[in-house]
Amino acid sequence: MTGSGQSAEHGLALQVDGLRVSYGRKRAVDGVSLDINKSEIFGLLGPNGAGKTSTLSAIEGLVKPDSGSIRIGDVDARANPATAKARMGVQLQSTSFQSNLTIREIVRLYAGLYGVPLTRARIDDLLADVHLAEEASKRFSQLSGGQQKRVSLLIATIHSPPLVLLDEPTAGLDPQARRQLWDRIDRLRDIGRSILLTTHSMEEAQAVCHRVAIIDRGKLLTVDTPAGLIEKHKDDPRVRKVAHGQVTLEDVFIGLTGSDLRD
Amino acid sequence: MLRALLEADLTVQLRNGRALALTFLLPLVLLYGLSAGKRRAQLGGPIVDVALALTLGIASIAILGYTASVARDRELGVFQRLRVTPAPTWTIMISRLAVQIVSMLVMSVVVLVAAAVVENVTLDPAAYLLTLLAVIFSSAVFLGVGQALVGLIKSPDAVNAVGRLSYLPLFALGLFAHSTIFGTTFETIARWSPGGSVATLLAGAMQPAAWSADTWWALLASVLYAVVFAGIGIRWFQWSTR
Repeated sequence: MTGSGQSAEHGLALQVDGLRVSYGRKRAVDGVSLDINKSEIFGLLGPNGAGKTSTLSAIEGLVKPDSGSIRIGDVDARANPATAKARMGVQLQSTSFQSNLTIREIVRLYAGLYGVPLTRARIDDLLADVHLAEEASKRFSQLSGGQQKRVSLLIATIHSPPLVLLDEPTAGLDPQARRQLWDRIDRLRDIGRSILLTTHSMEEAQAVCHRVAIIDRGKLLTVDTPAGLIEKHKDDPRVRKVAHGQVTLEDVFIGLTGSDLRD
Repeated sequence: MLRALLEADLTVQLRNGRALALTFLLPLVLLYGLSAGKRRAQLGGPIVDVALALTLGIASIAILGYTASVARDRELGVFQRLRVTPAPTWTIMISRLAVQIVSMLVMSVVVLVAAAVVENVTLDPAAYLLTLLAVIFSSAVFLGVGQALVGLIKSPDAVNAVGRLSYLPLFALGLFAHSTIFGTTFETIARWSPGGSVATLLAGAMQPAAWSADTWWALLASVLYAVVFAGIGIRWFQWSTR
């Protein structure tokens, strides 16, 4: 199963082909291939331990794949990791910043790491844009969960990368904060960014993603638009078995990945 | 990139009250304690007192301060966040180490000034310069030890505990590197311990005219300690605890 876009042979923001990642003897990602078009929001859905974060970690350069290729635009990420990293913005699942730095100093540090010179006034403008002007002098640990996610997203996009990787961006947020973050993700798409996000939320996948891939035990099981996935799998006996009335994306997800609890 | 990291790491260091206290207070307390002690002559005299105070300062910054900050930031995911930027990984660690070395140099200047006041130990300009060079060199020994600790141990609590435990044999043994108070065998062991080698090297740097074969051996031992510990630390260091 590959996640190739139906229409875009050209202008791909991300191409992953035959990606394999292992931790010791455990194969976490097993031959994943996917393409993400420009200005597309692509969701990676999967139970715990399915290989979502490992796939992202390989794209981000945090883990070394056993095999496979990763291209960010026209850059081979495995051959030119620094160039590839400059072209992507990353929000990790659980992230933190130096505990003794203020939010303003954190933004300044990461802008510096991406070679984006920012004046103090410009930093304050950026913080005001994400409703964090009054928190500029606070430490990251003093912010609420929603504020921390907004800081992380601001830093992930501080250098205007064409590709943004978000690992469970709304995990642990209340509905208001989640909606706000979806709006911000939509706005990124509107200005031409491509986004790969992982999520456990079917609601999120349906609300923000153009296409969704379901991954389990390191393999991509299916890829399509949320509506396309329902249409494609609505008659699958595994899906019918778990559906209560009209088939939903969650029915498709549970039907394909099973009902067993995962750690 | 390195400039941005250095600025951030320096800011963190300056805001860490505990690290600052360790940096300046401990060596000054030791210097005062040794100068006021009745058995000071048995430990080696004023120059050795200053060398021991410098050794304590360097060991404290490296084994307690550096290891704690690296272990904590690794646990929090700070390094992983930095590693997804285009910054080469070596710049992340070099920045941290550079800030520690700057702290050690500032501490050394404070101790040398205090030594002039408390112990009347004043050196030639060349000897001051040589002493600061020896401080940079000595930092490699204890930063290497610190790197080995965070390389071999993942948990911040365990790093902290083992750091405190190893601090005693690594430094305290050095106190007796120039004393036969516990016999010559103990003195020999103390002299070749990391703390003893560094203290001998620093004492030698403060008196260039008296630089001896012992100082050369201490220099060689320090090189070996630095290479071995740093090698272990680099080989087994992991950026994430997960």
